[in-house]
Amino acid sequence: MGSSEGISLAPRRTAAAPRSSAGILETVGGGLANWLPALPLLALAATMLVVPTIALILGSFGIPHSPTLDYWVDTFQSNGGRGAILTSVRLGIASAMIALLLGGPLAWFVSRMVTATRSVWLSLLNVAANFGGIGLAFAYMAALGTFGMVTLALQDVGIPWIPPEIGSFTSLVMAYSYTNIPLFVLLTLPAMGILRQEWLEAAEVCAASRWQFWRFVGLPVLAPFLAAGFLLIFTWSIGLYGIAYALGGTASSTGQLRLITLQIGLNLNTGVGSEERSYVLAVVLLLLATGALLSYRAVMKRALRWFT
Amino acid sequence: MSRLARSLLLGGIVAYLAVPMIAVLLYSFSGRWTSNMLPDYYTLKHWQSAVTDERLIMALWRSIWMGTAVLILDILIVVPAVYWQRVRNPRIRTFTELSAVIPFVLPFVVIAFGILKVMSASVPKILGTPWIILLGHAAIAFPFLYWAVDGAMSAANVVRLNEAAQICGATPLQTLRYVVIPNIGAGLAAGGMLVFATSFGEFALVQILAGARFENVSLYSLDLIAQTTSQAEKLAVLTIITFVVLFIVSVGVVYANRGQIGRLLPGSRAMSGEQG
Repeated sequence: MGSSEGISLAPRRTAAAPRSSAGILETVGGGLANWLPALPLLALAATMLVVPTIALILGSFGIPHSPTLDYWVDTFQSNGGRGAILTSVRLGIASAMIALLLGGPLAWFVSRMVTATRSVWLSLLNVAANFGGIGLAFAYMAALGTFGMVTLALQDVGIPWIPPEIGSFTSLVMAYSYTNIPLFVLLTLPAMGILRQEWLEAAEVCAASRWQFWRFVGLPVLAPFLAAGFLLIFTWSIGLYGIAYALGGTASSTGQLRLITLQIGLNLNTGVGSEERSYVLAVVLLLLATGALLSYRAVMKRALRWFT
Repeated sequence: MSRLARSLLLGGIVAYLAVPMIAVLLYSFSGRWTSNMLPDYYTLKHWQSAVTDERLIMALWRSIWMGTAVLILDILIVVPAVYWQRVRNPRIRTFTELSAVIPFVLPFVVIAFGILKVMSASVPKILGTPWIILLGHAAIAFPFLYWAVDGAMSAANVVRLNEAAQICGATPLQTLRYVVIPNIGAGLAAGGMLVFATSFGEFALVQILAGARFENVSLYSLDLIAQTTSQAEKLAVLTIITFVVLFIVSVGVVYANRGQIGRLLPGSRAMSGEQG
């Protein structure tokens, strides 16, 4: 024990410089220890999410080749580019609107159900919200396609119903609704609890009609939550790809249907269209989604007052 | 009157949601389906041929093992990061939260495009291999596990547990293994199942980064759709199998969360307190 102290004393006496470098090493070691367990996750997120995003943004300005604004100008001047952006936005708004108009009342009814009925509804909605992609596209065709079950059933009883053409705007909105309506209900259901039964009763005591209650109490209170749901469904819908590709891939390659996601996918898969435009469209999609998500956060901030 | 409107809305939505699922189910058992509302007769032969169809089995198998691998990778990297940002270095949170938002802001097809560009400029050899799918899926699915685990660690008061464990002389690794993980089981289960489900049915990344070289359930389904109508019955069988897998997963999530779906969605965590 004593001898080891003696040995260690000798270098210490002369070692002003080494001691400080050891200090630096210790800080570096401490710094590393502060980050080490999180490094694998941060490295994965950086290489698979952050760097690709930056690469797309730079790419839309021609970097690393030669910086230019041409890609943006081209995209917004071409019918194809403008059409894709407009149709995607319209599709997002239409889908979110349907989810709001049908899902909103549904969420209210489900929130007022007795527990047993409610859990049946919740599981149905959960299943539907999880059903998406290619399988849903096929299910849609099997039900509402030219030879779908509903189409055949209606024609059987003599109603000459012609379903919306697969790959048309309407068919996409209808297919998207399968996941959007349940998602909207699941998103807004927790908020329905803030409308107290007492408020309804108080309004009734004051001789307010149902309509008046909703006009002056219910909707103003719920508005931020409904808006938040709308924005999330909008973000979701403009970014959908698998189901859009399965239903509208053909229509897209012939130019009948233009969507941002389909234009990008088609360009990457078949080389149709220009890659420069894909960069710009990808960044436009990023901007749209970021804008919607920022509005969502602002709205939620207002909405959460009710919980404090 | 309003009762009638209510029943009409509820019934209409149930019908709208249920009919496609019923149609697919009937398709998978239909012998011949010409012009009537229901198939002409029923048969089990599509199911029999499906379970012996090598291509279908392989597609299912790829989806299953990829989902499992992504789940394991995400647990290995997310749990230590969340633990560390709670007990040691809160500055990590800035970066993890920012990363967790990206898969929600960026559609998967855009992420796939970005990854394709970055990888073809740096390590082109990884494109077309299962490795790039594994990494890509782990990146787009990690937020589900992240939010679930973060919520579970907060609920379990991991900071206190960690202090207690340290006083008893446990190393961080021991604390994680014997104290933290046993206390966040529900969060791990719920988030983990969503990770699996995200990878299982994923289409954009697989199509753009690997294509036919990694044919999973989604790619094979699309191929069956693109072929002539004679493949509809096989596709129906595959769709139902996929659906059942995802159904089991979603039931598991609800069970693990005890109905608090809200906790897994961005920003709605504060709301779930009211509902639960």
